Amino acid sequence: MASDSGQDGLTRRELLRRVGLMAGGSVMYQAMNSLALAAESPWKGPTELKGAPPGASVLILGAGMAGMTAAYELRNAGYKVQVLEFNNRAGGRNWTLHGGDRYTELGGETQHCEFDPGLYINPGPWRIPYHHHGILSYCKRLGVALEPFVQVNYNALLHGSKAFGGKPQRFREIKADYQGQVAELLAKATHQHALDSLVTREDQERLLESLRGWGALDSDFRYVAGDVSGERRGYLKPPGGGLTARPESGTPIQLDDILQSGLWRGVSSGDHYDMQTALFQPVGGMGRIGEAFGRELAGLIRYQAKVTSIQQDAAGVTVHYDDASKPGVSQTARADWCLCTIPLPILAEIPMNVGEQLGAAIGAVPYASSVKVGLQFKRRFWEEDDHIFGGISYTDLPITNIGYPSTGFHANGKGVLLGAYIWGLNAMEFTSMTPGERVQKAVEYGSQIHPQYKTEFDNGVAVAWHRVPFTQGCYGMWTTEARARHYDDLCAIDGRIALAGEHASFIGGWQEGAVTSALDAVGRLHQRAVAQGASA
Amino acid sequence: MRRTLLWLIPMLCLWLVPAFADDSSFPDTPGQDPVQSGEQIYMQICQGCHMPAGQGAVGAGHYPALGGDAALAAWKYPVLTVLGGRHGMPPFGLPATSLALQELRTVHLSDAQIANVVNYIRTSFGNHYPDMVSEAQVAALPHPGRR
Ligand SMILES: Cc1cc2nc3c(=O)[nH]c(=O)nc-3n(C[C@H](O)[C@H](O)[C@H](O)COP(=O)(O)OP(=O)(O)OC[C@H]3O[C@@H](n4cnc5c(N)ncnc54)[C@H](O)[C@@H]3O)c2cc1C
Ligand code: HEC
Repeated sequence: MASDSGQDGLTRRELLRRVGLMAGGSVMYQAMNSLALAAESPWKGPTELKGAPPGASVLILGAGMAGMTAAYELRNAGYKVQVLEFNNRAGGRNWTLHGGDRYTELGGETQHCEFDPGLYINPGPWRIPYHHHGILSYCKRLGVALEPFVQVNYNALLHGSKAFGGKPQRFREIKADYQGQVAELLAKATHQHALDSLVTREDQERLLESLRGWGALDSDFRYVAGDVSGERRGYLKPPGGGLTARPESGTPIQLDDILQSGLWRGVSSGDHYDMQTALFQPVGGMGRIGEAFGRELAGLIRYQAKVTSIQQDAAGVTVHYDDASKPGVSQTARADWCLCTIPLPILAEIPMNVGEQLGAAIGAVPYASSVKVGLQFKRRFWEEDDHIFGGISYTDLPITNIGYPSTGFHANGKGVLLGAYIWGLNAMEFTSMTPGERVQKAVEYGSQIHPQYKTEFDNGVAVAWHRVPFTQGCYGMWTTEARARHYDDLCAIDGRIALAGEHASFIGGWQEGAVTSALDAVGRLHQRAVAQGASA
Repeated sequence: MRRTLLWLIPMLCLWLVPAFADDSSFPDTPGQDPVQSGEQIYMQICQGCHMPAGQGAVGAGHYPALGGDAALAAWKYPVLTVLGGRHGMPPFGLPATSLALQELRTVHLSDAQIANVVNYIRTSFGNHYPDMVSEAQVAALPHPGRR
C-alpha cells in the first residue's frame, strides 16, 4: 500500500473519537501520540538571544551539556561568561573512554583503558533519537559528525536464563512467532464472532485482512511454517542460487513457550518513543560533542575548579572554588547572575543561600544507580560468527544488555562491546565491587550468551555511576509526588541564581533534557537581566 | 559467587516506568533466599557509596564516612536516614510494592534488614555502640510512602 495515513478519509478528530469510544482512555492516548497531538518536543528552533545589558555577567557552574549550551547562548547574546568546571575536560556525563584514557572513581580505584586505537566505550550517553532536536542542532552547529545508532537488530538475541534451556533466541523469530500467533488468535476470535459487539461487520473484514498482513498468516488465517512466515522469521536454510537454492522453513516457536519464557518483553523495546528509528551517535564517541563545545568555548571555561560555596547578595553572586592546580587556596569568582548545572547529589552538599523551597527541591531527587562495562575482544565474533551488526541483545541476567558497536562493521582486528548496562539492585551490587570484579562478572554472565567470550576476551573497563566523582549518580529520579511538590521550585529563578540540567527537565536521563532546560533557564534569566537594566 | 539480594525487588513493572535512557527489557532475575545479615547488606548495597571500610569518599562532592561518625550515636538517626534517604542517598524504606520504589529504581529493605545493617555499621569501622536496634524499633518509626 502506498498510503500510510491509514485514515480512510476520516478527520483526525473523528478518528480519535472512534478510537476513544471503542477502546477507552489509554488507547486514546496512544492514538493521540501516533497522530502527534500529544507529546511535542519543547524545542522551538535556535534561541538566538540578543541584547545583553552592557557589562552584564553570568557565572556558569558545570561544563556539561546544560552549562555549555547556556554559555554558548549567553556569550552570543553579549554576556560576559565564565564557566567553572570540576573536571579537566568539557562534557560532564557526555564522555567517551578511548584506549590510553585513565579514570579514577570515588574510593581511588584507577582504571587504564587498554582498548586498541579507534575503539571506545561511552560510559554514559550513547544514542540520540532523531526527535531530540536541541542536542542535534548543536551537533550540527558545532560540526559534530553523526552516524546511525542501531537500536533494533532483528538478528540480535533475547535471552532468558531459565527459558529454552538457557539458549538465546533470535529477536526476529520471537517477534515473528509472537506476533503471528497473536494475530491468528485474534482472527479466530473474529471468526467465532467474539468481536461482534465491538467491531462492525465491514470493519471485521478489514481487521482480518490487516491481521493477515501484520501476523504473516496464510490464506486460512493460520500462522504456520512456510514461505509466508519464513519471510518474517527467517529460514532454517535460507533461499540461495543454483541447485542448492531451495529454502527450508523452520518451525515456529509455540506461543505458550514464548509467553512462559517472558521473552515477549523484549519485542517492543524499539517501539518506545525514545528508541524509535532513526537514532544517531557521534562518529568517534559521544564525547565528541563535549569536546566540540569545549573548543568553541575555549578561554571561557576554567577547568579543575571545584565549587565549594555559592552566595548571592542584592548585586550579584559570589562563588568560592578550589583550583586543583593551586591546592589549599580558595579562589573566588563573581558575576551578576549565576546558572548552576551541578548535579543535585553534589549541589545538596554545597553551602548556598537560596530560599527554602529551592533548597528542599535540591534535596528531593536521588540519582539512579547504573553501571556500564566496556569489553574488548580479540575479534568481532558477534559479526563473524553470529552475524549481529549493531543493536542490542537483552537478557534477564544482571548484565541486562549486550550492546554491539554501530560502527566499524566487518573490520578486522579487535572490537569493543557494551558488555553490561545495569540498573537497580544489580547496579548497586556491581557498584559495590572493584572495577576488576565488575569486568570479570560481565564476562562470566556474557559467556552464557556468547560462549566465544571465554577465548576472545581481551580487557575491559567498568563505570559505576554512583562512584563517578563528578555526578554521584546516573541521573535524577523523580517520583510523581516529588515532581508535583518540587519541580517548579527547582526550575524557578531564586534571586540571582537559576538551576539547569537534565534534572530540571521532563526528559531526565537524556542530553536533550539538559539542553532544553538550559535554553529555558537562560531565556528567563535574560528577561530578568534585561528588566533590571545594566550590570550591577 | 555471592548470594544476591534480587528477591528484594518486587517485579519491576517496567511498563509503568518511562523508558528514559534506560532500556532493560526484563525485570531482574527472580532471586534466592533473603539476605538478612547486616554485613552482607552493607557489602552489596551500602559500600557502593560509603566504601568497603566505611571511609566515605571525596570528589566534586562527597559520601560521608561512617567510621568514627558521631551521628551514629543515637540509633534513630541512621535508621531514619536509611528508611527515608537524604539528598543523594536513596530511601530504602519505601513499601515493596509502591510506585515510588519503581520510579526511584531503589531497593526495599525490610525493617529487620534495616535493623541488621544499622547494627552492623554501629559496631564496625571502629564504631562500638553497644545498644542493638530491633526490628520492632525500626517498625515504629515513620516510613516513607506510608499513610
Ligand atoms: C549511563 C548513562 C546513560 C545515558 N544514556 C543517554 C543516552 O543514550 N542519550 C542521551 O541523550 N543521554 C543519556 N544519558 C543522560 C545524559 O548523559 C545527561 O542527561 C546529560 O549529559 C546531563 O547533562 P548536564 O549538563 O545536566 O549534567 P552533567 O553532564 O553531569 O554536567 C554537570 C557538570 O558539573 C560539573 N560539576 C559537578 N560538581 C561540580 C563542582 N562542585 N564544581 C564545579 N563543577 C562541578 C561536572 O563535572 C559536570 O561537568 C545517560 C546518562 C548516563 C549516566
Ligand atoms: C547512592 C549512594 C548511597 C548509598 C547506596 C547509601 N548511602 Fe548512605 N549516604 C549517602 C549520602 C550522599 C549521604 C549524605 C546525605 C546528606 O546528609 O546529605 C549518606 C548518609 C548516610 C548516613 C548518615 C551519615 C551522617 O553522618 O549524617 C548513614 C547512617 C548512611 N548513609 C547509611 C547508609 C546505609 C546503612 C546504607 C546501605 C543500606 C547506605 N547508607 C547506602 C549515599 C549513599
